[in-house]
Amino acid sequence: MSDDGISKEPMLEMYLFEGEQLVEQLEEIIIKCEKDKKFEMGAINEIFRIMHTIKGSSAMMMFNQIALVAHSMEDLFFFIRANQNVQVDFVGLSDMVLAGIDFIKAEMNKIEQGKVADGLGDELIAEIKTQLTKMKKSYEDESTLPAVVADPVANEATPKYYISSYQPSPDKKTENTKYCVKVFFEEDCKMENIRAYLVVNNLEDIVEEIYYLPVDVIDNEESAIVIRENGFLICFSTAVSYAEVESALNETAFLRKMEIDQVDQYPDEIKALHRRKEIRLDDIPAEVDFRPQLETVETSKDVDAGPGNNRQQNIISVSVAKLDMLMDIVGEIVISEAMVTKNPDLAGLQLEGFSKAARQLRKLTDELQDIVMSIRMVPVSMVFHKMNRIVRDMSKRLDKEVNLEIIGENTEVDKNIIDHLSDPLMHLIRNAMDHGLESKDDRMAAGKPSAGKITLEAKNSGGDVLIIVRDDGKGLNRDKILNKARERGLVHKAENELTDKEVFSYILLAGFSTNEQVTEFSGRGVGMDVVTKNIEKIGGSLAIESVCGKGTEIFVKIPLTLAIIDGIEVGVGKSRYTIPTISIRESFRIDEKDVTSDGDGNEMIMIRGQCYPVLRIHRMFNIKNSVTRIGDGIMVMIESDAKIACLFVDKLVGEQQVVVKALPRYLKKVQGIAGCTILGDGGISLILDAHGILARQLA
Amino acid sequence: MSDYIETAEDTQRGKFLTFSIGKEAYGFEIKYVTEIIGIQDITEVPELPNYVKGIINLRGKIIPVMDVRLRFKKEPREYNDRTCIVVIDIRDISIGLIVDHVAEVLVIPPENIVPPPAIKTGFHNRYIKGIGKVGTEVKLLLDCDKLLNDEEIDALSNAVE
Amino acid sequence: MKNVLIVDDTMFMRLSLKTMLEKNGFNVIGEAANGAIAVEKYQELHPDIVTMDITMPVVDGLEALRQIRAIDGQAKVVMVSAMGQEVMIRNAVMAGAKNFIVKPFTEESVIKVLSKV
Repeated sequence: MSDDGISKEPMLEMYLFEGEQLVEQLEEIIIKCEKDKKFEMGAINEIFRIMHTIKGSSAMMMFNQIALVAHSMEDLFFFIRANQNVQVDFVGLSDMVLAGIDFIKAEMNKIEQGKVADGLGDELIAEIKTQLTKMKKSYEDESTLPAVVADPVANEATPKYYISSYQPSPDKKTENTKYCVKVFFEEDCKMENIRAYLVVNNLEDIVEEIYYLPVDVIDNEESAIVIRENGFLICFSTAVSYAEVESALNETAFLRKMEIDQVDQYPDEIKALHRRKEIRLDDIPAEVDFRPQLETVETSKDVDAGPGNNRQQNIISVSVAKLDMLMDIVGEIVISEAMVTKNPDLAGLQLEGFSKAARQLRKLTDELQDIVMSIRMVPVSMVFHKMNRIVRDMSKRLDKEVNLEIIGENTEVDKNIIDHLSDPLMHLIRNAMDHGLESKDDRMAAGKPSAGKITLEAKNSGGDVLIIVRDDGKGLNRDKILNKARERGLVHKAENELTDKEVFSYILLAGFSTNEQVTEFSGRGVGMDVVTKNIEKIGGSLAIESVCGKGTEIFVKIPLTLAIIDGIEVGVGKSRYTIPTISIRESFRIDEKDVTSDGDGNEMIMIRGQCYPVLRIHRMFNIKNSVTRIGDGIMVMIESDAKIACLFVDKLVGEQQVVVKALPRYLKKVQGIAGCTILGDGGISLILDAHGILARQLA
Repeated sequence: MSDYIETAEDTQRGKFLTFSIGKEAYGFEIKYVTEIIGIQDITEVPELPNYVKGIINLRGKIIPVMDVRLRFKKEPREYNDRTCIVVIDIRDISIGLIVDHVAEVLVIPPENIVPPPAIKTGFHNRYIKGIGKVGTEVKLLLDCDKLLNDEEIDALSNAVE
Repeated sequence: MKNVLIVDDTMFMRLSLKTMLEKNGFNVIGEAANGAIAVEKYQELHPDIVTMDITMPVVDGLEALRQIRAIDGQAKVVMVSAMGQEVMIRNAVMAGAKNFIVKPFTEESVIKVLSKV
């Protein structure tokens, strides 16, 4: 990228941000058009405009291959837009555009990762051009409409002259002076003919008559070449001062050289023009309809807030880095606020006024926190809509007709989380299409409609967001799964005690796949456990329900936000841990005698008739110098996804709100530790994740 | 990254921060160093290799700290008030290196640096990029990149992203 | 210091222009993403110069140019076009545009043109 001396960083970010948005929009439109089997004017305009924009921005950023590919697609749609009756092969055309989109996406991806965008679009461009030629040919054969591209006003050789608005002042006795000016433009400034016209325009109001050579600057592109070689000759007469003339001429941009001469007579070539004079009034040639149709551009439902906003902009885009900083500072404020209002110096003092003010402060910081969090919230629609493409591609490849239904796309989730959602969702949808949905024949034999249905739904549920991927395919076979699990030695409970949910969750384990064939997309047995891991990484969990023969539902529960949680601080040895309040059922002290061990050293306790495993944190994390006698410590009962256990810790320190910070990337991820937080005294507390802890220790 | 480091990029070539571990003197390029702090409380994190002692809070940023002695499989030593943490920043990873004490910043021109001997023995030879001669002394110049990222570590640290 | 209103439907372009202009002593007082908003903003802000993209939804650059010139005959509008839009530029110039810039543009050429407007 050339360096204009401007930092390209913000530009690059904006380019990628807008580019990616545009590409997504484009993809949606194309898929819809393909489905509807028609290209509505609004869609064509939109496609054209997007390609045009991508071309422009890419050229500015010197990503020439992207610009070229976009350009060729722009040309294609320019033609379609101008010739609405042209026969279009919808599937072929969509495939081509999608191929173009994929190319652009891939290149942008490379750029985003700091790599060189080295893809070559030649083949693609050649294909597109071939398609365009084919279209043009078939169109010309059929229709009688003239090719639209040429300018109908082109070929007038008759020079035009302008009656200028210049009126010599009646009392002025000054005579007009004749001038002859030759103008040379800078090399490579392009469109010299129009620039030349601009010069004439500038002079119009101060001259009485004006002639110029070449004459057809407005209409004939080739005149630019003449001007480049010979300069632009202007002759005029005026009564204004030389200084004024010079000043008007100096307004010309890209001026390389200019010769101004006062003459008595115009040169011969101008005189020749003079004789052929035809006076015409200012004339704006009949417009060729290159303007985009001015019907209101429909914002189709799928196309959400696009960059070319045709409604008032009450939205601004903010860099995520700034939001993260804001989040951090708000977090610090929360901690500081606690340090002030819960300061040990104040213990035992009666402080009416202070307490009142502290409560008010607390209220305000809570509000601030809520607002900042809400700023970070982004609707899941972007991620959901990406799935349309997957469904479309796969249904073609698998020859299965599938309808994707999207519900609750406006449900919002923290920006951090949404980025990690798309891969898992993609995989779930692929699974549903590949393994869940049966072939057309099988479906019809089973009395189902031939088109399969996949529903992608998002809704709020308490402090979490629930995302459901539902298909009406053949469902999961409990026995088959159980057999496989048994084979792999994964079954630890009596089989008849396992609920369906538990059986189905075996497929989330690594290496588990009951598919005999490995298909291109899935079935390699690495899928579901990676999905689970990724969901857990963002603090979520998976659950599966299914009815054999009817379909499968996969529930993905993810927290609304990772950022700030309520937690109970506990101490184990020198270390401090924070357990999210939401995972805690209760805490209590117990006696040595209440704990029983089984043969393998696993401890458990009975509470109100139920038996729960005991997990010693100090053992789990190898912490020295902690309390080991049951009677001296505390039990904290935690729960996650219907699994319950009691954690044994040294002591409870207190309750507080903590800002979740990720552990440094360099460190290996520890199952059961979700992150860390900085305490009021500057120390660090590790945040436990109930789901992870339970998964560690329990089968 | 402090401004100092960024703008003085060129003037930092050939400058090494030297520190000692036992009898040996080591050094690495100062361009990686963001700051040097005294030893402070380290929060332990379970399941880490023994030479990664845990994490510390550096003005709100959480960074891991590695004990260079242990990394080089030397005898561990108790930390005292001369013990320092040298915070380095490579490829967006910040990490603190615990060293016995920091000596000084030296300029070692390239002609005074020779490649390490091709001896296969010596575990920590692979972290040494070169041997720098300073007067009569010899400093073992470390390859920070390798120190942080060799297969051992890759195998241990699951890519989080 | 000249006040400029930037009109372009692309955020990227608006940012590019704004960056270039502000670096060279111009004061960007407003932005508009289509011709209709451009006309509104013109009346609200009275910029010294308007940079006007040609291809925009709702109301395009040419139409917005006309409307602005109708409101203010002294309005200085510079068209921003892509290659291959000669006819549009010509029409714009005849409708009163003071000059034009062709995409992709360099900082140098933008400033050259705007300084002379």
